[in-house]
Amino acid sequence: MTRALAIVYALLLYGFIFLPVAVLVLFSFQGTLFPIPPFNGPSLRWYAAVLGDARLTAGLGNSVVVALLSSAVATLLGFLSAWGFARFHLPASAFLRGLITLPLTVSYLIIGMGLLIFFNWIGLPKSLVAAGIGHVVINLPLCFAIIYSQMGDHQANIERAARDLGASEAKVLLLITAPIMWPALFASFFLSMTFSWDEFVISFLLTRFETTLPVEIWNLLRAGLNPKTNAVGAMVFGVSIILAIVFELTAFRKRPQ
Amino acid sequence: MTNRLTRRLFGASVAALALIGSYAAASAADLNALVWCDHSDPNLLKPFEDATGIKVNVKEFEGTGAGLAIVDQSQPGDWDVMVIDTVDVRRGVDRGLFEPLPEDKLPMADIFPEVLMNQHAVVDGKRYGVTEKFGYNTIGFNKSKVDAADMDTLGVLTNDKYKGRIAIYDYYLPVMGLAAMAIGKKTSELTEADLPAIKEVLQKMKANAKAVTDVVASQTALATGEADILIGGGEWVTAGIAKENPDLDFSIPKEGAVLWSQSLAMFKDSKNKDNALKFIQYVMSPEGQARLATSSCYWGMPANKQATLTADQKKILRFDEQADFLKRAQEYPAPSEDLDKKMQDLWTAMIQGQ
Amino acid sequence: MSSASTSRIAWASVTPALLWTLVFFVVPFVAMGVMSLHPKAGEGASLAAYAQFFTNPSYWHALINSLEVTLIVTVISVLLAYPFAWILAFMVPERWQRLALMLAVLPFWTSYVVRSYSWLLVLAEKGVVNSTLVNLGLLSEPIQIANTRTATVIGFVHFFVMLLTLTIYANLKQLSPNYRKAATDLGASGFQTFIHVILPLTLPGIMVGAFLTFVLAIGDYITPQILGGNNELLMPQLIMMQIGRRGDFASASALSLILMAVVTLAYLACARWLKIERA
Repeated sequence: MTRALAIVYALLLYGFIFLPVAVLVLFSFQGTLFPIPPFNGPSLRWYAAVLGDARLTAGLGNSVVVALLSSAVATLLGFLSAWGFARFHLPASAFLRGLITLPLTVSYLIIGMGLLIFFNWIGLPKSLVAAGIGHVVINLPLCFAIIYSQMGDHQANIERAARDLGASEAKVLLLITAPIMWPALFASFFLSMTFSWDEFVISFLLTRFETTLPVEIWNLLRAGLNPKTNAVGAMVFGVSIILAIVFELTAFRKRPQ
Repeated sequence: MTNRLTRRLFGASVAALALIGSYAAASAADLNALVWCDHSDPNLLKPFEDATGIKVNVKEFEGTGAGLAIVDQSQPGDWDVMVIDTVDVRRGVDRGLFEPLPEDKLPMADIFPEVLMNQHAVVDGKRYGVTEKFGYNTIGFNKSKVDAADMDTLGVLTNDKYKGRIAIYDYYLPVMGLAAMAIGKKTSELTEADLPAIKEVLQKMKANAKAVTDVVASQTALATGEADILIGGGEWVTAGIAKENPDLDFSIPKEGAVLWSQSLAMFKDSKNKDNALKFIQYVMSPEGQARLATSSCYWGMPANKQATLTADQKKILRFDEQADFLKRAQEYPAPSEDLDKKMQDLWTAMIQGQ
Repeated sequence: MSSASTSRIAWASVTPALLWTLVFFVVPFVAMGVMSLHPKAGEGASLAAYAQFFTNPSYWHALINSLEVTLIVTVISVLLAYPFAWILAFMVPERWQRLALMLAVLPFWTSYVVRSYSWLLVLAEKGVVNSTLVNLGLLSEPIQIANTRTATVIGFVHFFVMLLTLTIYANLKQLSPNYRKAATDLGASGFQTFIHVILPLTLPGIMVGAFLTFVLAIGDYITPQILGGNNELLMPQLIMMQIGRRGDFASASALSLILMAVVTLAYLACARWLKIERA
């Protein structure tokens, strides 16, 4: 009885979770302009339109570059600081750690607003770099928290052994700590990528001509009824699934528990 | 002074970042255009870029306030041309932003005289804006769902017969202009004293409305039958999708409608004035005009009568009825900054149901 | 190794992150504070931007709307996600759990903006849900969900159920099965075990998830803007309106800081569950 109830509940929830995506994918193949029943298709009309849209494809490229670079910076800074705080006794450590994680509690909109005003004040023009800086701000605390929480004492012992054998601090960090911490680093990087990839409001406020995919999609949505939105959403979905599978295969299969 | 210095120093220290950041900003052969979404259509830009080798960078904005705010945040010379409501050209001139345009190099004689609006676009004998496109904020509707006779009067704004079937276009200026006309006021003479009466109309309107929607939500609502009437709509909402749903139409009520009219202006600090002029000339040419009028973002009437539109396109835009429409249309409201703020607050209050 | 060089290395490793946070988070924050106090360029400091918020009902109602929506979303999401996470953690066979979780997260791999928009298609009067229900005879006429607060809530809940399922699942998995066994051995019923043992143990996880939901939902502009039909304004919409329509950065800053203050209060309320500690 409980078991049947549980199955029904789980199926209902899966249904709820998949409903909008299913509708999105279905209507991305709609033959007419109106994304409502009856379904007229399948047609690849809107996919062709997306691939022919230079702004969308440019936005896609920009999003990838911003996500890769900002995640790399966030992971690097997060890793260095997590290591520093975990291995050394620094004064006011708790306070400083709190400072680094503080942006986690602030809405993206507010972070974006602050950066907009700040960049405006110092005369830094709106650009993808500005948006990337914002993405590092939101992802650094996350990377720090993930990596810091995984800095265990047994790694410290291995590091100490290496140091005793004469390895320099930089060598220890690069050749010992980073490889041991690889899963946490990978998780941080991957999570940062995801957040940066999907981030809208900071990019919206901080870019000018060249912008990221979510902002281009938003522009598309503002610019009149256009089923290209459905097609581009379905394509992002497809690419993401492929990435997720790659992630699953590379990150977890190699390291049996 | 010291404050300024610290700012400069601080600015310089981040200059390295700025350098990387500005790679996206203008190179010599580029044109930086601050535009409405209809100018982003590759169908409009590509022929110009191919013919001249000038790359057009576009940044979209909505509404003069937002556009001027973007200019405020930019450095002089960042922008070359701007699209602006014709009634607001003077605001830009007052801020010392614009460069006079050479009338002899533009097809002035071919432009519908009613939309030139020299009282706004010409200051001290110099023309600062040239009207490129116009249309109406009026009543958009689905012919098959409503009584056409009801659409010929602004009484429809508060007509209980259509309760729950109305969407309101989410832009305060034209819709408040319509509300003002519904109670017999002129849009060009609005003052703060008119606001309480307008507020009453807005409240009744909101009570009947299903949603207050932006452009795409408005189109979606009309197209999907979510709403049958769009207050503030017009050819710019219905024309682009008329081919797919011929029932979508607009009317110009007997009291009239709000005329929107957009102009091109050139920045005084532009570093590419020759290119800017070339761009303006292209957009004003018969070919550019036809492409702009039927842009994928929204359609509208070309200001240039010689625009090379097809017979079908002319029919959808109701090109031949313009003389009559223009007679009844009233100007887009152009409030002072103070009144503007009060109107926006009134609009916010309407949305919040207060 | 001398302690001086140790300390140099220690500081060198943490300084980049601290500097980044300082320059691109703390300083902008201060800039925003300064901006909020200068509503008119060239004039002295004033509290006008704040006064406007507290005196204009349509402004502070935006905050009330935001709080209402966010609380509703948080509660519904927790209530929906908890049993789901429970089923995934304890009733799905171990080797299928990863797959089950992956499936639950899969739909979130499409673009956030598009996902909100697709709910509009689902909920529209002529949309999939309404047409299906009417065709099946379950509804005599379509009901309006799109462009209402309900639509906003559904859009939010959709996202946060996923997020909470993940956090609560992780939490449940960390529980030692012994707790449950011990409680049952001592004669507790399933329900008693849950109320007195499992729930208190998973509360920290729930609080972390709920807080995350609160922060992310209250600051989100996209979902209410796309789904709410502007039948009411939430704080982020009001803030974006200040920038988008007026270029009024003082008001936008003041409103942002007010929103920030509210989030801080929420943070303090659940601070004791939110510590990030080393394993």
